Amino acid sequence: MRTFTAIAAVVIGAAVHLTAHAQDTIKIGLVNEATGPNAEAGVYTHNGAKLALEEINAAGGVLGKKLELKLEDNQSTNPGTVLAFSKLFGEKGIVATIGPIRSTQVQAASPTIKKAGIPTMIGGTDPSLTKVKNRWLFRGRPSDSYSSKVIADFGVNTLKKQKWAIVHSTDAFGAGGMAALTAALKEHGITPVLVQGYTNNSQDFTPVVLAIKKSGADIIGSYMTNSPDVGIFAKQLRQLGINAEWVGSPSVVTDTAMKLAGPALNGVYGIADFTPDASDESKGYSKKYRETYKQLDPDVYSSWAYDALKILALAINTAKSTDPEAIRKAVVGIKGYKGVEGTYTFDDNGDGLRGYNVVKNDAGKVSFIKHIDFKE
Amino acid sequence: MQILFDNLQVLFQGLALGSIYALVALGFVLIIRATNVVNFAQGDFAMLGAYGMVLFFTTLAWPYWLAFGAALVAMAIFGVLFNYGVYYPLRHRSFLPVLISTLGASIFLQNTVLAVFGPQPKPLEKMLNTDGINIGGIFLDSQYLMILIVTVALVAFTYLFFEHTLLGKKLQATSQDKDMARLLGIPVALMISITFVYSAVLGGVAGVLVGPILFVSIGMGSIIALKAFAATIIGGFGDVTGAIVGGLLLGVIESLAAYHISVPYKDAYAFLALFIFLLFRPQGIFGEKVSEKA
Amino acid sequence: MQRLSLPWLIVLGVIGLGLALLPYQFETSTYVVQMFMQAVTYAIAVLGMVVVLGYTGQINLAQAAFFGFGAYGVALGTVSGDINFWISLGLGVGAATIAGLALGMTTIRLGGHYLAMITISFQQIFDLVLTNWIEVTHGPDGIAGIPRPSLFGYELEDDRAYLLFCAIVLYLLMFAVWWLPNTRLGRAMRSVRENQLAAEVVGVHTLRTKVIAFALSALLGAIGGGLYAGGFAYISPDNFNFMRSVEFLTATLLGGAQSPFGGVIGTVLIVQMPEWLKHLPESLSFIKDVYLAVYGLGVILIMVFLSEGIWGLIKSIRAKFVKPIARTDTTGVKPLDLELQGADAPPLLQVQGLQKFFGGLKAVDGIDIDIQRGTVHALIGPNGSGKTTSLNVVSGIYKPTGGKVVLDGEDVSQLQPHQRAGRGVGRTFQNIRLFASLSALENVMVGAQRDNNDVPDGNRGLRERAMSALDFVGMADRAHVIVRNLPYGHQRLVEIARVLAGRPKLLLLDEPAAGLNQTEKGEFVELLKRLRGHGLTIFIIDHDMGLVEKVSDRITVLNFGRKIAEGSPSEVLRNPDVIAAYLGTAGKVN
Repeated sequence: MRTFTAIAAVVIGAAVHLTAHAQDTIKIGLVNEATGPNAEAGVYTHNGAKLALEEINAAGGVLGKKLELKLEDNQSTNPGTVLAFSKLFGEKGIVATIGPIRSTQVQAASPTIKKAGIPTMIGGTDPSLTKVKNRWLFRGRPSDSYSSKVIADFGVNTLKKQKWAIVHSTDAFGAGGMAALTAALKEHGITPVLVQGYTNNSQDFTPVVLAIKKSGADIIGSYMTNSPDVGIFAKQLRQLGINAEWVGSPSVVTDTAMKLAGPALNGVYGIADFTPDASDESKGYSKKYRETYKQLDPDVYSSWAYDALKILALAINTAKSTDPEAIRKAVVGIKGYKGVEGTYTFDDNGDGLRGYNVVKNDAGKVSFIKHIDFKE
Repeated sequence: MQILFDNLQVLFQGLALGSIYALVALGFVLIIRATNVVNFAQGDFAMLGAYGMVLFFTTLAWPYWLAFGAALVAMAIFGVLFNYGVYYPLRHRSFLPVLISTLGASIFLQNTVLAVFGPQPKPLEKMLNTDGINIGGIFLDSQYLMILIVTVALVAFTYLFFEHTLLGKKLQATSQDKDMARLLGIPVALMISITFVYSAVLGGVAGVLVGPILFVSIGMGSIIALKAFAATIIGGFGDVTGAIVGGLLLGVIESLAAYHISVPYKDAYAFLALFIFLLFRPQGIFGEKVSEKA
Repeated sequence: MQRLSLPWLIVLGVIGLGLALLPYQFETSTYVVQMFMQAVTYAIAVLGMVVVLGYTGQINLAQAAFFGFGAYGVALGTVSGDINFWISLGLGVGAATIAGLALGMTTIRLGGHYLAMITISFQQIFDLVLTNWIEVTHGPDGIAGIPRPSLFGYELEDDRAYLLFCAIVLYLLMFAVWWLPNTRLGRAMRSVRENQLAAEVVGVHTLRTKVIAFALSALLGAIGGGLYAGGFAYISPDNFNFMRSVEFLTATLLGGAQSPFGGVIGTVLIVQMPEWLKHLPESLSFIKDVYLAVYGLGVILIMVFLSEGIWGLIKSIRAKFVKPIARTDTTGVKPLDLELQGADAPPLLQVQGLQKFFGGLKAVDGIDIDIQRGTVHALIGPNGSGKTTSLNVVSGIYKPTGGKVVLDGEDVSQLQPHQRAGRGVGRTFQNIRLFASLSALENVMVGAQRDNNDVPDGNRGLRERAMSALDFVGMADRAHVIVRNLPYGHQRLVEIARVLAGRPKLLLLDEPAAGLNQTEKGEFVELLKRLRGHGLTIFIIDHDMGLVEKVSDRITVLNFGRKIAEGSPSEVLRNPDVIAAYLGTAGKVN
């Protein structure tokens, strides 16, 4: 008996919402990883968005009103993301949302977003996300089909290498990247001499390294997820005497990976959608970020959220309305907007960026090499 | 020729990782023998030891061996706390509540360390100042070598300690028959505390050894512990020799299978080996037949 | 287990239905509906944990894998295979049940820690396969666009309708799980949890019981998973990993493993707690950062202070206000009928050349004993002479190294203890082995439900039989007392009633008078004489020569695993070898 009373109390407690906000702001929801294993990234995302928010409101807000950010934690999980979105959509006056950076979380929430019909900026880079018949998703980052194109282009055209080994994590990100890179190399008429997967948190990469050695590859393209894996692999690669070039997805040039691997990662190329000294915009943003958040360095987690909020504000101002259809129309109408991640030109699928920066690890310092953009 | 070298290289890595499994498995077995409980937080002992090293060596910049000693002392103190916080209140209950309690301890420890040190994995200095040596195309990482050496030394020490010291014999008596030990005037609660201390220190050493290779992260202990537990079953539940042999065997099986069959399923081989043992020889290599007394 | 009367059931039903219809009455956001969808589907999986862990006492750290079987069944069936939702769900549940059966089979030799490890291994392999077998499972990307079913032509597309449907499924399953403990199977499960060896010897097919428990757990897990997949339209492997299994375990323990209500309370709390934390004021927001650490600490604290979970707490509060039944009404209890043997037939039990070695130790080395029908046969001997080992071989706990045990003309040497119980061998233990947290009546009912016992079907027949047995030993008025709370002497009587309820052909008593005081001993001798007077065949071990001499027709004496004497009490007790064996030295007898 008491059980049901208890459950009843819980239900009613949850059903009664702390609502009733004044209607003098325009609200945009932000689903971030405030708790759970990726909580640190969640903080950066919030930082970036806050910076954009202050700038927008200092410049007069949107449609003459102040912009307000509504945070919702997704606990770094898929079900948590679904809950977070449905909670935001349940609140009155949310005109647009900024979603997570992880593709599977976007996948999970996609049906909910579609049903609600609220324009949502996403950071997941799985190419299929914007193509799954959900017209409400807009990507604030370049998709992996471009990361692989950039890796292939840089390796083949700039480094002039033909014998490719692809090393990838078997998780969603790694498997997707592997498929895209294989396809991109095919356009250059190249079939990789080795495609080698591994599961995250492998303790030993010797079999992988030996396979690369046996294949005779002179360049490695990698989609690795976790920094410790990058570190272990890099060390063992160099210990066993392989000096092939290496162009990797962003994980090889993260601060953590470089700290873990030390000199083993020197000279490795990585791609990044955000590099502090890639453009005037990113330089300005980095300066401001460092001033605001003292000891923190700007990174992609903050920069993409910064761009995403700016784009939404721009779109609402252009549309002169908070109607979802009008916002959608305005977002896909954005051409040539210079953000800190690059220049956004949206297509009808909702993809705005088509290029990456190539950077190099110069003895522990990331240096900008070039920006590669694609038309399609 | 190259194939032979490659196989030797893989074998070497497998033995070294197997040594880590063996060290953690040894810690498992000592606690199993003393308390008849599987400690699900055993892997986190390694994690804590490694973070201790991060604190004393990296953050506080103490000399390496001083930091190492401090980390082990910290682990010893932790062993006592663990006993009184997680095991002792439940000592009269069946194994299930204790097992779940250690599971809770594991979650608690990992997330406490997460709150203190943050989620970024940390690098750790190697014991020796050299990267390693290259013998005929086989690269022997200095840290892997140290792992092998330290493991052999610790196993030898454990053997001498248990077989040839009075304290060791008292510990053995306690693990064999608590009531009898009590009648003989052996302070059983103290002996169990000592076992936890020894086991925590062993775990800590494993963590410090493996930190430079796998890096220091919150989850580093979990996967090691699972393998180490598999090793204790393969070797023979509660058998000291079995834990060592089981650990080494598992490390080698895993590496060779990953090299020859498929890398992504690397972790599955360990569990597969475990399944095969459980089906055909559940008592393990050195264990006696499992049977319940009336 | 308290029984609910009809008015209570109606009240429960109305409240439950009201709850499920809540989203229709108030304007609720999708958020609330989805949170409850999560809670409801998880709760179904937790019901499985209640069955396997709470009732049967077997640890299962792979419930998320079973949950995953259901979810992937639905997802792969509907999305990849374009099959009907219900058929897909059935396939997923079927696969999970088979996996559950297989996992349960591993308990044939291994329990406890091994089982924890086996289930973890299973969980990890499941996770690896989901992630790596991309062609089939879609790998870590997961599967999107899972449709919702229709029921009798009614589309469950609407969130509220689907939640209502899931809630009704949950209620039905809760009811079934709540009902289970008072069935034959449920009692068997609980007896396995309380004392597996005793359960087996009393006649419970313990392996089958455990396998069924695992299969049921898997089945419930998969139903929950299948409904979850339909509810959220997208699944990926990280929903079904080890941490989720730990979450199910924690929910079960937090709420109270031994009751479906407890399991559901625990699930709701586990799902809700992170959401509640979000409403904390800024000054307390640090709690969010250490939430998982607190969660881990909470698990330890639950184990130490709240071993029966919240439901156990509620029950203990209730117990303060509701007086337990002190005396059970014993009117109308029928007298106990016993299985009697004609005295002229061949011996009931023949032990022939029996050997049992443990490694090099020859505990029993070639003994022959014939037990005549309708007699009391005692087995005596000094400590370590092999008495208890012999009894263990006769009741099937040990398999003989050599020789045979023949019961009623049938060689039963290789049969399991429960099979022997099913053929009429009943025994008690030297250190009483009752099912401590069950009532005296339930203990005895487990004894009554052995295979081949001539008892009318259903609980009523079992209960009548059990009451008769309790009445025979003078414990009928204490039938509803939890045996843990009974004094030692009474526990001994309940244990004997448990055997008698099984209408044994042969009663094995292992030092039944040990630990009894003089008065109790006297009463016990009277009980034995009554049994003997009824003509029951009894094989008894005891140290107390006085007692043995008073009750037995024939005595066999063992020393060092061999028979040294046999005969009537007066013959045997005068035998110089026997005296020497008891005094420990030969030839110093006056």
